[in-house]
Amino acid sequence: MRVPTVKKTLRLGAATILLQFLLPAQTLDQAETLWKARRFNDANEVFKQLELKEPKNPEYKVRWGRMMMDHAQPVDAEALFTEALEIKKDHTGAMMGLALLSAENFDSRAGKMAGEALKIDPKCLEAQELLARLALEDNNTPKATEEAKKALEIDKNSVQGRAILATIDWLADKKETPWDPHAATGYATAGHFFVINRRYEEGIVYYRKALELDPQLYSARSQMGINLMRLGQDEEAFKQLELCYNNQFQDAATGNSLKLMESYKKFVTFKTDRTILKLDQKEAELLRPYIEAEMLRAIDTYEKKYKMHLEKPVQLEVYPNHEDFAVRTMGLPGLGALGVTFGYSVAMDSPSGRKPGTFHWASTLWHEFSHVYTLTATGHRVPRWFTEGLAVHEETAINADWGDRLSPDVIAAIEAKKLLPVAELDRGFVHPTAPTQVIISYFQAGRICDYINDTWGWDTLLNMLHDFGRGEETAAVVKKELKIDPEEFDKRFIAFIEKDTKTQVANFKEWKKGLKSLVEKETNKDWDGVIREGKAIRDLYPDYVEEHSVYEALAAAYIAKKDDAAAIAELQRYEKIGGRGPETLQLLAKKLTEAGRGVEAADALNRLNFIYPMEAKAHRSLGELWLVQGNLKGAIREYRAVVAGNPLDQAQAHYDLAKALVANHQTEQAQEELLAALEAAPGFRAAQKLLLELSTNPVKNPVIN
Amino acid sequence: MKRLISRLVGQAIVFCGLSTSEKTGIAGRRRNPIVYPTLSIVTLLLLAALSAPAATFYVTVAGLGGEPDYAQRFKMWADDIDASLKKAGGDVNVTTLQSPTRDQIRAKLGAIAAQAKPADALVVILIGHGSYDGVDYKFNVQGPDLTGGELAKLMDAVPAQRQLVANLTSCSGGSIEALRRPNRIVIAATKSGSEKNATTFARYFAEALREPGADTDKNEAISALEAFKFAQTKTKEFFDTQKRLATEHSVLDDTGKGASDSDAAPQANAGKLASAFPLVRMGANLAAARDPKKRPLLDKKEQLEQAIDKLKFEKAAMPAQEYKRQLTQLLLELARTQEALDQ
Repeated sequence: MRVPTVKKTLRLGAATILLQFLLPAQTLDQAETLWKARRFNDANEVFKQLELKEPKNPEYKVRWGRMMMDHAQPVDAEALFTEALEIKKDHTGAMMGLALLSAENFDSRAGKMAGEALKIDPKCLEAQELLARLALEDNNTPKATEEAKKALEIDKNSVQGRAILATIDWLADKKETPWDPHAATGYATAGHFFVINRRYEEGIVYYRKALELDPQLYSARSQMGINLMRLGQDEEAFKQLELCYNNQFQDAATGNSLKLMESYKKFVTFKTDRTILKLDQKEAELLRPYIEAEMLRAIDTYEKKYKMHLEKPVQLEVYPNHEDFAVRTMGLPGLGALGVTFGYSVAMDSPSGRKPGTFHWASTLWHEFSHVYTLTATGHRVPRWFTEGLAVHEETAINADWGDRLSPDVIAAIEAKKLLPVAELDRGFVHPTAPTQVIISYFQAGRICDYINDTWGWDTLLNMLHDFGRGEETAAVVKKELKIDPEEFDKRFIAFIEKDTKTQVANFKEWKKGLKSLVEKETNKDWDGVIREGKAIRDLYPDYVEEHSVYEALAAAYIAKKDDAAAIAELQRYEKIGGRGPETLQLLAKKLTEAGRGVEAADALNRLNFIYPMEAKAHRSLGELWLVQGNLKGAIREYRAVVAGNPLDQAQAHYDLAKALVANHQTEQAQEELLAALEAAPGFRAAQKLLLELSTNPVKNPVIN
Repeated sequence: MKRLISRLVGQAIVFCGLSTSEKTGIAGRRRNPIVYPTLSIVTLLLLAALSAPAATFYVTVAGLGGEPDYAQRFKMWADDIDASLKKAGGDVNVTTLQSPTRDQIRAKLGAIAAQAKPADALVVILIGHGSYDGVDYKFNVQGPDLTGGELAKLMDAVPAQRQLVANLTSCSGGSIEALRRPNRIVIAATKSGSEKNATTFARYFAEALREPGADTDKNEAISALEAFKFAQTKTKEFFDTQKRLATEHSVLDDTGKGASDSDAAPQANAGKLASAFPLVRMGANLAAARDPKKRPLLDKKEQLEQAIDKLKFEKAAMPAQEYKRQLTQLLLELARTQEALDQ
C-alpha cells in the first residue's frame, strides 16, 4: 500500500473540506430516495459525496453496495462490501451483502456467511431468510420449512419467510396456502424456485404476479423475459427484456439474451411433423441430415422406452458459438456445459463450437432429448439428480462407446468417498462445494440409474419417474420402488461402484506415474519401451482416452515398427472404449482401408460423424468407401456433406457427388452436379468424361473412375 | 451497449462475447461458384508459360530453427517441398538449402543469376523464423541474418522475368515492401511484420504442392495462386478448429504496386499473375500443346473456354434455365474437343 506524503494528505483534506462547502449537503436518505426512484446516476453521485465526506463509514458503503447489486454491478458491490468489512469486520450488512452475492451464483459459501451473520446478530432477518432459501434450493424441504419459520419468529411479516413456505406448498401443487406473501418480491421468489425446478411456465406465472404488484421489479421482469425466451416465446421475451434494459436493468443475462435474440436472424429453421431444427445458416446444409436423423431416431426410441407420445414437435437450437449457447443457461445452477432442455425446447453446442474430439454432439442430443421425456412425463417435477441420471444412462444405453468416460475427478471422488447420499444428490448439482462436484454428480446420478436398471429393471425406473411426477420425494420413492431405505440403497450402490471401479481407483497413482514415463518414451521415440510398458499401464485405467492416451501411444509405436495389424488392434480398442479424437479415428480408418478392411474403416468414419462431422476429408473418404460397398444413399449423404462444407476444391466435390448419384440412377441430379463441377473447372477431364457418358447414354450406367 | 453508472471511472460491461458470424449464403455455394472473367487470358499465359522451352529455378531455404522442435519442423517442410518439386520433374533446377548461412544463399542466387535467361522463372521459398524491427525484415539464418532488402537485390540480379518469392516465415509481411516489383509474385505468411508467432502457413503451403485437391481448376498444375489459397484456407481452418485466435494472416501481392490482397482471386487485380504461374505440374497436360497437328483443336478449345468465361460473366443477367442450357452445350463441346485432343 502506498503511504501518501504529508503534503498530499493535507491537500486532499483541504479539497474535501472545500467540496463540502461548495456542494449542497448530501444525506443517506437522499441517496436512498434517488435509488428507489431508479435514478441510479444521481444516487451514485450522492454516494460518492457521502464517501468523500465520511470515508470510514461502513454503512454508506453497504447501502451503496446494495444499490450496485440492484443495478447489476456485482463486482462493484463486492468491492464495497469488502471495504466495509475492512472498516468493521463484524458488520452484518456487509456480510449479508457478500452472502447474497454468493447466493446469486449458487455458491455454497453463501450459507456459511449467512450463518456467521446470524451468530453476530441472531435477529438478522435477511440471514435467516437466506438460509431458508438455500435449503429449498437444495430441495431440503424440512430444513427450508424450519428456517423459514425461524425467520417468521424474528419478524412475523417476513415476506421471504412466507414466500418460502408458500413456495413449498405451491411446488407440491397445493393451490391454497396460508403463507401467500402478497408481495412482489415474494412472488418473484416463487418464480425463481419454479424455474430452478425446470417448471418454467409456472415460474413465468409467478413473475407475472410479482410484476402486477410492482411493475418496477426489473429483476423479476428480466427473469420472466429470459424464461419466455427459453420457451421459444421470443416476441414477448424481447419486449420484456428491452423494457428492463431501457430502465437501466442491464445485467449480463438481460444484455446477452437481447443480443442472442437479435442474432436469431442468422439461423434457419427446418421442420418435420415431430421436430423443429434451428441451425446457423453457415453450417445448416452440412449438419441438417445428421442432426435431424438423430432427433427422429431419439424420438422413436424414447416413445417406446418411456411409453409416451409427445404432444408437439421438439425444438432444437444448435449454436456454433459456445458463448451464444452459454447465454441460454445463465442463472441456472448445475447445468451441463454442452446442452440444456426447457420442456420441448432444447439448446446445445454445435460440433463446430468445440475443439474437435472434446464433444460428442449425438450423445449430448440423446441426453437432452431424454430430459424432454422425463420433464414432460412428470410435469417438470422430476428432481435434478434423477432426470440427469436417466439422461446420462441413455447416452450409453443407445451406444456403449458414447457418453463420458470415467474421469480422474470421479476416481478421486470415489477414493475420497465423496459421493453424496441419493437423497441429497441434488445438492451436488445446485450448490456444489467444489468446481468438479457437478461433473461427479452427473456421473453418480448416471451410475445410480444404471445400477437400478441392472438390478431392478427399466420398469422400476419408469415407476420412480411417475412417482416423482406425483410430487413424491426421493427418499420415499426409493423406499417405495426399491423396497429398501435410502441409506441401505447408498450402501449397496457404493459397494457396486467401488467394485466396478476397483482397478482404476486402486491403481490411479501408479497409472499417473506410468503414463508420465510413457509420454517421455513416446517423445523420445523409444518405441520398444512404449510397447514393452504400454499395455500394462493401459490396463490400469482402460477408460482413459483423452490427451496422451496409452492407446494412441501404442498405435504410434506399432506404426513406427511397421506393425500395422497391431496398430489397428490398438486403435480399435481406443474406438470401442469411447475414444473420440478425430485424427486418431481417421488414422484407424486409413489403416483399415490400407489393410483391405473397408467395412470396418467405414464404421470408424461413420462413428466420427457423431463426434465431429465438420471435416470434408473424412466425409470424402467415407463416401468413397460406401460407394464401393454399395451403400449408395450413404455415399450420397457423405458427398453432399463435402459440397455443403464449401470446400476449396469445388469441382472435385461436385464430381464425387455426381458419381454417387449416377450409381444410384439419379441421372438428372448427377448432371446438375457435373455442371457445377465443370462450371468451377471447365477442363476437369474426369467430369468431362462422365458428362459425355451421360449425354450419349443416360440410361446405361457409365463406367465410374 | 454500455453500463450507465460507474463507481469510479471507465468500467465496462462484460458480455459473453456474442460475436457476429460471417454470413455465408447456402444457395450461393452452388449457384455462385468462383467466376473467372479473365480466365482465357490466364489460360493463354499459362499455356505460354508451360509450353515455352524455359527453365524454372527453385530455391527453398530452411532457416535457423533455434529450438530442436522448430529445426526439425523447418527441415521437414523444406524436404517436403523439395520432394514435390522433384517429383514434378523439375529436379535439375531444384535447390534446397538446409540452415545455410547468408553467404551460401548469396552464392546460390548468384549462380542462378549467371545461368538464368529472361524467359526463365525463379521461385524462392523461405521457411523459418523472421523478425521485423519496424524498418527491416530479417530472415534468421546462421551468422548474420538476410534482410528483405538484400534478398530483393539478389533476386533483382537474376535475369528471369517471372519471379515468385514465398516468404513463409513469421513477420514475413514486413518483407513485402522490399520484395515487391512488377512481374514478381510475393506471398507472405503474415500480413505485417508485427505478426511474430511461428507460422503454420508454411506447413500447408508445403502440403499444397503435393495435394491434388489444391488443383482447383483441374488443369493438372498447381499455380502459385492455388497453392496460396489452399494454404490460406487450411491455416484458417486450423485456427478455427483449435478455437485459437489467428496469429497470422497470409497475403499475396503480384501487382507490384502495393496492392497486397489477402483475398486474392484471378478476377481481382491481385492474383492474376499468380494464377498463371505454375508451381508444380501434376499431369501430362503439355504434350498436346506441343503437337502442331493438334493446333486447330487447341484453338477450338481456347475459344470454347473463352465462351464459357463470357457466359459465366453474364450469368447474373440471364434467366437460369437459359444459362444452364448454354453452359451445358459449351461444356459438352469442350469435353468432346478435349476427348479428341487426348486421342
